[in-house]
Amino acid sequence: MKRILIANRGEIAVRVIRACRDMGIEAVAVYSDCDRAARHVRLADEAVHIGGNAPSESYLRIDRVVDAAKKTGADAVHPGYGFLAENEDFAAACRDSGLTFIGPTPEAIALMGSKTAARQAAIQAGVPVVPGSEEALGVDVPDATIAGIAERIGYPVMIKAVAGGGGKGMRIVSSAGDLSSSVRGARSEAQTAFGDPAIYLERRILNPRHVEVQLLGDQHGTVIPFVERECSIQRRHQKVIEETPSPVVSPELRMRITSDAAAIARSVGYTNAGTMEFLLDERGHFYFLEMNTRLQVEHPITEMVTGIDLVQWQIRIARGEKLTIDPAAALMPRGHAIECRIYAEDADTGFMPSPGHIAGLRVPSGPGIRDDSGAEAGGEVPIYYDPLISKLIVWGDDRSQAIARMRRALREYDVIGIKTTVPFFRWMLEQPDFVDARFHTAYLDEVLRLRAGQPFTSVDDERIEVAAIAAAIWQMNGGSPVLLDAADRPRSSAWKAQARTEGLRD
Amino acid sequence: MTINVDANGRRYALEVIRPPSAKGRDGSFLVSVDGRQREVDVKELGGVLSLLIGSKSYEVAVAGSTVHVDGMPVVIAVVADRPSWSRGPATAFDAPEGEQRITAPMPGKVVKLLVKPGDRVEPRQGLVVVEAMKMENELRARAAGAVKEVRAVEGTTVEAGAILIVLE
Repeated sequence: MKRILIANRGEIAVRVIRACRDMGIEAVAVYSDCDRAARHVRLADEAVHIGGNAPSESYLRIDRVVDAAKKTGADAVHPGYGFLAENEDFAAACRDSGLTFIGPTPEAIALMGSKTAARQAAIQAGVPVVPGSEEALGVDVPDATIAGIAERIGYPVMIKAVAGGGGKGMRIVSSAGDLSSSVRGARSEAQTAFGDPAIYLERRILNPRHVEVQLLGDQHGTVIPFVERECSIQRRHQKVIEETPSPVVSPELRMRITSDAAAIARSVGYTNAGTMEFLLDERGHFYFLEMNTRLQVEHPITEMVTGIDLVQWQIRIARGEKLTIDPAAALMPRGHAIECRIYAEDADTGFMPSPGHIAGLRVPSGPGIRDDSGAEAGGEVPIYYDPLISKLIVWGDDRSQAIARMRRALREYDVIGIKTTVPFFRWMLEQPDFVDARFHTAYLDEVLRLRAGQPFTSVDDERIEVAAIAAAIWQMNGGSPVLLDAADRPRSSAWKAQARTEGLRD
Repeated sequence: MTINVDANGRRYALEVIRPPSAKGRDGSFLVSVDGRQREVDVKELGGVLSLLIGSKSYEVAVAGSTVHVDGMPVVIAVVADRPSWSRGPATAFDAPEGEQRITAPMPGKVVKLLVKPGDRVEPRQGLVVVEAMKMENELRARAAGAVKEVRAVEGTTVEAGAILIVLE
């Protein structure tokens, strides 16, 4: 393998280019119109234009990505995450064109990408799943039968629409008395929304944590699980902070959850990097949720506590090498790592996207700090893609040192020109609930609702006065007129006015 | 000369005495804030100012109407005595009485127009949908009115601050 095409953009494209460089492999970038000058393009050895700004015109175009690989003589393709990373047609198109796809086989992507098939695989491997009805319950299924199933699953139960999505046709039932009316309500809602009244039942797990297990599998039958990651700090089901190891997983639980994760992967002959996601309830019981058949956004925290470069291993596995990692080392975390996803979003206006020109960027560094970023001063955050600009990762001897370093790093982090979630993270890392690891997957949404739009950005009086002094000095010495431009003020107020009108997006 | 500065909505009256030895913004300035005087040592590095006030160290970056002090943003407006400074391009906030100008809060693409000229609109009624970063944002009327003008065109890209719809 001499030349790898990276079918992605942003920080993950930069991350993969770095792995290629570390291994003496050439990197080929692809780019859309607005990404011509993006960091991943300039860092790569070669770069190929693949179309317009909309992902459907460029980064999702299988034909153009494969053509770019052929044109540049690349022998392999790394999909990153998102875009085509979990698209079995893309993996198959690479294989059919004689390109090595750095990831699982198209068959494994298709199988584990289906929630119901993945759930069946877990059940067959003897791994617990959230208890539920295995089959769709159509209108002809009598209430008594449904009541029997609910009894077997155990209350509280969730009623979900088989054709569902977006919370439509979903009901939480806490006791048997409410069941039949909730079933009727869910069915009529499902009928209206999806034209299909079929439902299924699932146990409602109260205050679950999201715990996941990273895996690597080679082409010779070896699967190695890694120490778990805790990703319970989520906003609307999107991970915001991840850490490893989980503050609530004991060594004994770690052995069980990681060997279960590996058992599912082995049972389907899984190769390359993947992640098994679990819910962990308050009593320490875990349930398989789903599998991600790709490299995860949060992979660096695992790298920080194990010293293993997961992207290099993806490449080595793809070229047929045997996994030579000591399985015990992968499960023995050295210290603690935390990641904050820095988004170009204004947390003070309900996390509204804040694309635009990055006028200045001060990035933290020093002991234990890693900044995986695709952004730089002078660059643009385009409006067309996910607004993740950087992943700030810290390592510490233990959790409290890692938290202290994250606070220090966030203090150093300054992005000028666009709004980012840095002020939100500065606030979050001070919360006693976070420090004491008292949280679950709905924790952050609840806290945000209670705060009702209160701003996260708090500046002390001393620094507000310093800002006034600096502005005066800047202005009287030929400061750029932008500072004086009254027209600039209403723009920021217009943002806030709009956010108020929108009820802060919540 | 007195300079009035609004910082995060708070008004400061500042007197700044520039030392004769100052080069550009570098030098030791005498600054009095609301009557209290202190020495402010300034050194400029690129777009960043290092300030030493007494022995306390601050890093300041200026970006438009936002001044970052040690990474913390403060919204600034320098309030001039001369009214000419306040005349910028037309914005939503100096529109004629009773007129509402609906502007794009961020750069994006006009996905859908929900009203046409002459339509009556209620408070909070959706007027236009602008897409940015895979998210659709519906811009709504702040108060009841009639659509006077529709400047947005479906499918086109707009800059932040662009006037999309005018209500009266």
